[in-house]
Formats: sequence, structure tokens, C-alpha cells
Amino acid sequence: MVNLIINDKPVTAPKDSTIYDAAKINGIKIPILCHDKKLKPFGACRMCLVEVEQMKGRQIPACTTPITEGMIIQTATPDIIKARKLVLELLLLNHPLDCPVCDKGGDCDLQNLTYEYQVNSNRFVDSKFQHKIDYNNPLIERDMNRCVLCGKCVRICDQIVGYGALTFIDRGIETKIGCEFEDGLNCEFCGSCVSVCPVGSLLARPFKNKARFWALTKHSSVCGYCGTGCNLTLGVKDNKVLTTIYDENQGFHKGQLCARGRFGYQFINSEKRLMTPLVRKNGNLVEATWEEALEIVTARLRGGTSVAALATARLTNEELSLFKKLMIENVGSKNIDHSGGYAHSALTEGFTRSFGTTAAPSTILDIQKSDYLLVVKTDAYETHPVIGFEINLAVKNNGVKLTILSDKRGKLSKLPDARTAVHVPGSEVAVLNAICKSILDQKLISATAASIPGFAQLESALAAYTPEAVASQSGLTAAEINQIAIDYASAAKALILFPTGLAYAGHNAELASAVANLALLTGKVGSEGCGVLCMNEKNNSQGAVDMGFYAQEDGLNALKILDACTSGAVKTLFIAGENPLASYPNSAKVKSALDAVECLIVSDLFLTETAARADVVLPACSYAEKEGTFTSTDRRVQYIKPAIKKIGKSRTDFEIFSSLIVALGGAAPASPAAEFAAISAVTPGYAGMTHTGLGVEGCFAPVEVKPAFVVPQSAATPVEAGKLALVTGSVLYHNGTLSQHGEGPMFVCPDAYIEMSRADARNKTIIEDDLVTVSSPSGTLQLKAKITPRMPEGVVFIPYHFPAAPVNKVWSGSAVTMVTVAK
Amino acid sequence: MNPIAPIINGLSITLKHMFMKPVTLQYPSERPKVATRYRGLHGLKVSHSRAKCVACYLCPTVCPAKCITVEAGEDSSHNKIATRYEIDMLRCIFCGYCVEACPVDALKMTGEFELANYSREDFIYSKERLLEK
Repeated sequence: MVNLIINDKPVTAPKDSTIYDAAKINGIKIPILCHDKKLKPFGACRMCLVEVEQMKGRQIPACTTPITEGMIIQTATPDIIKARKLVLELLLLNHPLDCPVCDKGGDCDLQNLTYEYQVNSNRFVDSKFQHKIDYNNPLIERDMNRCVLCGKCVRICDQIVGYGALTFIDRGIETKIGCEFEDGLNCEFCGSCVSVCPVGSLLARPFKNKARFWALTKHSSVCGYCGTGCNLTLGVKDNKVLTTIYDENQGFHKGQLCARGRFGYQFINSEKRLMTPLVRKNGNLVEATWEEALEIVTARLRGGTSVAALATARLTNEELSLFKKLMIENVGSKNIDHSGGYAHSALTEGFTRSFGTTAAPSTILDIQKSDYLLVVKTDAYETHPVIGFEINLAVKNNGVKLTILSDKRGKLSKLPDARTAVHVPGSEVAVLNAICKSILDQKLISATAASIPGFAQLESALAAYTPEAVASQSGLTAAEINQIAIDYASAAKALILFPTGLAYAGHNAELASAVANLALLTGKVGSEGCGVLCMNEKNNSQGAVDMGFYAQEDGLNALKILDACTSGAVKTLFIAGENPLASYPNSAKVKSALDAVECLIVSDLFLTETAARADVVLPACSYAEKEGTFTSTDRRVQYIKPAIKKIGKSRTDFEIFSSLIVALGGAAPASPAAEFAAISAVTPGYAGMTHTGLGVEGCFAPVEVKPAFVVPQSAATPVEAGKLALVTGSVLYHNGTLSQHGEGPMFVCPDAYIEMSRADARNKTIIEDDLVTVSSPSGTLQLKAKITPRMPEGVVFIPYHFPAAPVNKVWSGSAVTMVTVAK
Repeated sequence: MNPIAPIINGLSITLKHMFMKPVTLQYPSERPKVATRYRGLHGLKVSHSRAKCVACYLCPTVCPAKCITVEAGEDSSHNKIATRYEIDMLRCIFCGYCVEACPVDALKMTGEFELANYSREDFIYSKERLLEK
């Protein structure tokens, strides 16, 4: 700590602070336009001028000057105030004074400072800019006439997002922020630039003109899309979520969000939301009362083991726990599952046998503390963009080495010094085994590895996985595999990341065990910056596993439940929030199961493809309407409370399950808080947690690792002449099937497509946007072609989120499907 | 005191008024002269054949009676306009803060004071009714 004096007050601050940071942590406000907590100091706006006695009273910028011992600083002398007024006058010289029509009015740093410093007149005269306003996309409006050239948008796009869509163009008075070739903005549309803009130059168009900033009530919440668990603030007016508000002090990500978090909130107040319960009468779904609907459901739930339940991992912990209680204690059936029964297998099977726990032994915070990151699949950026930003920061700021093991290249491959090992689809387990074998052969294992149970079996089983043998089937070279082994083992701290999800059937228990072996062999588990991070698909995937909402003992798993529906063993299926018809593999099979089951009960926000086939549809609530907790992928338990009142006659799943428990003669908990108390008493790691105790930051549930080596079985990589290997996955800014109700994700990617390499396209004379027919043994599908250089020859990619173009017509749940593609 | 004097006094005043201009206004056949700064019904000013209002939301913000509803939108050339502008005259207290707050001088208060109506809905003045004719 360094001692210094600010405004005659002795204060202390950490050694690496700037004057601005030191003042801020001691509660002294210095006005600034070009500074953000996440970005490196820049010194563009000259508003933060201060006087330092040791520098002979010269005015220096506080945001770029590091503190030194004994500094004597004045932040608000009459001279400084005069200088700041001058800066404001010069900024306002070219800034149009259109505050009444500017959407930033009320939330504008320049407006607030002008008011604070009472800059009522301007001594200078100059003309305003006449730049053309960029209306080219429906998400971000760019009006360079209002720009104050703080450079925050340029820096956040470069430093954190790693896209580099914006830059300074021209010099001197003509300087402006522009895109390539002075064209309209055409990027990922994450909206990070909008969030940091201090003036109204960059505006979020979905929110434009909807309301003034001061008319919004702000509710902090947790994003309801992926498992990263980002904190966000919802701006609410008239019971409508109108926007998300940026707050640099929120969460580990410091307010940074992706396009779906920032622009994907429209599903909450969507006009398509279900408003009343629906009951099927004479073949049609008609509106009904809650009493009527629940009566039918109650009667159907008295079926014991002929009842099964599927839930989405978007429910809160309390709801999942209550649903499980309802099914096991009141209905008497253990047939419960979520996420297709396989998307959670990395945790429930893989980590259970390798680490003795159902959670990843690392946190997102480890990414920036590590020295070496091994990412399995470039899709890690698409599935969890904010974790992708953390990887960007780690690589760019901390010099962390990055290796990607993937079946295609991607955005992460473009990071400085990133190595991408592109292997044949489906061979990742074999490659990881070969890396383990290489580490064993080169004697790079840690001292403790040999004492972990299963070491001898692993060592003998890995004999078949020599880098040379695996190289031939995986498309890599033995040297590449050996290099990854050396890099990984020799790094002081190394972290492995891999995404899971419904579209990643190959990221299963075998892959989880394979990466666990790698981490255990080199002793990279259990310390800071080390370990394995399994990136779960949905916002409460980890919670669903922690609550035990998956098939255990003699219960049927999701795919077996669907089989049992077809065979007639399961007569009542209760689906809470899942849309298996759109998201589970093999839609024909799911369809016949849903048709065969006697009674289908669905609770959901929307009349999904699955809900449209139901006998009873119950309108449920979104995360903005309920109270409870979500557990993020790194096991941070976070509390959410309602931001708006329930829409229409919808009820939270908690209320639905409670009333069903009561109707079946059980006792329901009084509130989500009471249920959470019951959860924290029995769930490992949750002990001592309460709703009020979680606070705004949430709490990490600790993970205890009992390591063991398990021999992972690598699947044979299918090869068929003339066919292409189809890999499914997530596309940037979509998540599950919910994101199709968000404006942002739907603009960035409105429809499914088939992505293929240039070589394959040339061979089949396919050009961009051609409609091609994809066929596999399970069906055919027509999709638009997208030709990109990132795909290796022989591999095609289709995203899975879109019920309008369901990939599950041609994909039946295997990691790699051989398909024929023709025009 | 002489009891007759006050009666004569009074009658003389009455007599004097019989020859003065009457105070009572024969409303509605006679119309009152409204002061220039009278705060009557609101009017949305028009310039270049369109409303001057830019939907900045300052009037609903300042309104103590919360009687103004504004919804903003864009016209075809991306200019900000009020797609909805309503004043609930049953709630309005005619304080004139809205006129004072308007940064573009788009709002005025006219001399119109005859605001009686038969149904509650008729007291909600839409943008069309408020536009100055």
C-alpha cells in the first residue's frame, strides 16, 4: 500500500493504482469520460486533470498517472475547475445540443458534467459535424456527430471482445470513430460499445425511444441464458422489461455482457407468452381456468411409475428441488431427467467417477490466473461468450498461452499465439488419451499421480494410444500431440475448458474423464489457475445436477422416458420448460413418443412445438418474474428476485409444483426461501447458504475432489466415402431454443444454415446462400449454405436452436453424423 | 341613528348601478375576455406542418398530476416524434409546468376553458385533439 494525500486528506491505495483509482477507492470523485474499470487507461478526455504538488502544480491526468509514496494531490482547485470547464466547452463546441431527442439524455456523462460544472455558454464558435448516421443494423445506431472521441468503444471491442470492428479514422479535428471502409457496423453485435459510450453516439436500437433513463426502475438479476451466470440489471417500466442497464461494478465480468444477455430480453414481455392455462378438448387446445387444468394434472399424476418428468435446466434450484420432491414423494416415480439425459453426463457420470463430485473443480476466475489454457472445441466462445471474453483478456493482458483442440477453427483461434489443433470430428477423446500417453512417456507426470487409484489400469490402457497411432486416425501429427503434452505439463498453472450441451453429444462422460486424467496426471487440480472447467449450457444446468434432477437408481433417463412413452410404459409425461421436439436428437422418435403418450402436460412460457401437442398447457413465468437461486457453471449460487409482476395468469413453476403437491396430499414449502433452507441442509457445498446471505455477489459452493483415474473409451471416428461429417453445436449468441424469442440473437443469426469448407463447396459446386439438401439415415433437411474458411474439408456444421429448420431431423444424437449434402 | 338613512343610502347605490355597465356576463351568448397568460387547454404547436414536439419525455417527468402519457417513435427519416401524446384533463391541475419544461417550445396553454364533457373517455385528449388548428 502507498500513502498519499488527496485534498489534504491522508489516504492509502494499492501500489499499482493510478491517481484516479486511488481517489475512487477513498471516496473522492474525479470526473472522467474515457475511463472504464475493465479497460486500460487511455487519457483521452482530459477531464480528470489534477494537480500534484511534487510536479510543481502542473495539471496532469489522474487516470494515467501512477501513484507514488507521499504524493500530494489536489483534485478540485479553482484552476482545475477552470480547466475542466474549458475542456467541456471544447467538447460541446462540436457536440450537437440535441439532448431532447438524444436517447442518452438523463444517463449521459457529458450532460451530467455540463450540468455539474455549469457550462452555460461557450466562448468558441464552430460548426457541428454532419456525419451520416449509421442505421444499417437493427441493434446498434452509430451517430458520430455526438462522439467525444473517448475511444472506449474502440478499446472494448479490441481488448475484451477481440473483434476490432471500430477504430479511429482520420486525424485532427476530422477524427471520428469508423468501421472498415467507412461502412456500416457489421460485427458480432454484442453491444459492448453501446454499454460504455459516455454520450449518445452508440445507442441500443431495441430500446431507443422506449423510455427515458430516469423513468426506469432498476432490478439486478442473473442472466437467464447460458451457464456463465452473468449479473445484469433489468430496466423496468410499466411492468415491462425494456432494456438491460450497464453497471461496471456488477459481477466477475464487470458488467460485460454478450448479445443475448444485452439484446435478448424480449422474450420476457413477448406477446407470444402464454397467458392462461390451456386444456385439450375435442382435439383443440382451449383456454381453461387454473382449477380445471390442475385438476386434470392431479388426476393424471396419480399414476406411480407410469408418470415421468422432464425439466429444463432454466428452472431455479428451488423449483427443480420441488419438482423432484413432487415426483418422488408424491407421485412415486423416479423417472425424472433434464437436458436430453446426456448433456449433463460429463458432470453426473464423468466427473463423478474421476473427481468423486458432480461439479467442475475450477471457477471462471481461474481463467485469468492461469498460465496455459487448453480449450476443447472453439465453440467455447459461441456457447459462453462472456467466458470467451475472459479467455481473450487472459491471452491478451496476461500472456496466457492458448491451445485449442477442435474439429474446426473459430474466433478463439485468431487470438495472438493461439495454436489450434484441428482434428477429425469425434476423435477428441483419442487425442486427449494420446496427450496423456505422451505425458507418461516423456515422464512429465506429477509426483502424486502414481498414488491416485486407477493409475496402473490407465497406464496399461493408454498403451494403445501412442501419439503416432492416434495421429493417423485424428488427422493431427504426433509432433503436434507431443507439443500440446509438453506445453500443458510444463505450464505452472493450466486449465482445461470444454463446453457441454444438447448439441454436444460427444462432450460426455468419456471426454470429461479424459480431460480429468490429463489434469490429474500433471497434478493440475485443486490450486488456483488450474483444473478443469465444464461449461454447462443453461443458466442452471449445474443447479439441476446439484439438485439431483436426473435419472438415478432405477429411474429412467430422458431418452429411455421417450422410449417408454412410445412403448406405453409411461402414460403421463410432465415437461416443465423443455422443448424436446426442437432440441432433443431424432425428432421423428421424439414425435412418435409425444404422440404415443396418453397425457402430455407442458408448463412453458410459450406454446412451443412440444406444448402444441400437449393435453394440458400451463403458463409459466420467466426468470424476471420469480424468486429463487441459480447455480452457475462454476458453482456460484446466485439469488434472483422478481423484477416484474407475473404476466397474464401465468404462475411460477414453484407455485405450480406447490399446488400439485398439496393436491396430492403432501405438504408444500411456504416460500422459495423455505425450500432453499431444505436444499442447503442436504446438498453438498450448499451448507449454510440462505437467500439473504447470498447477497449480490452470490456464493461459491465448494467442490471437494476425490481423484481417480478412469479409462475413457474413445469412439471410433466414422468415415464413409462421399459423405461429410456433420457436427452440431451452438451458434454465437443463441442458447437453447429460448433465444429465438430475443431480438438480438435473432438479428445476429435469424435462421439455421449449413456451414461448409470452401473445398467441399467447390467440389459440389455450391455457392453461398444456395439451398442444399442434407440427408442422413434419419431424415433430410433443406438449409442455406454458408461457406467459411474455418471449416476443414469433409466437415459441415449446423446449429441446433431453430425449430423452423430442425437439425434433429438429420441428427440422431451421435457426436458425428455422416451426411450427404447435395444441391 | 335615523333608521331611514341606510335604506336611502342603499337605494341610491342600487339606482347608481342601474345606469352603470352590468358586471354579469351573459354567458354563453357573451364571451369572457381571456387573459393572455391564462392556463387553459393545452395545445401542441405546429411548425412546418408538423408538431414541434420531439417526445423528450420532460413534460410527463415534471407533471405533478402524472396526467401526460408520451410514447416516442421515429418517422421515416429517423426524426424522433411522439407517436402518442395524451393528456388526461380530469387529472390535470393546469399548473403549466409542462409548458415551462418543454425544451423546444412545442407546448402551450390556450385560452380554451370549456372542457366539460359527458364521458370520462372524452377527457383524455389525444395528440390529434391537442394539435393547434
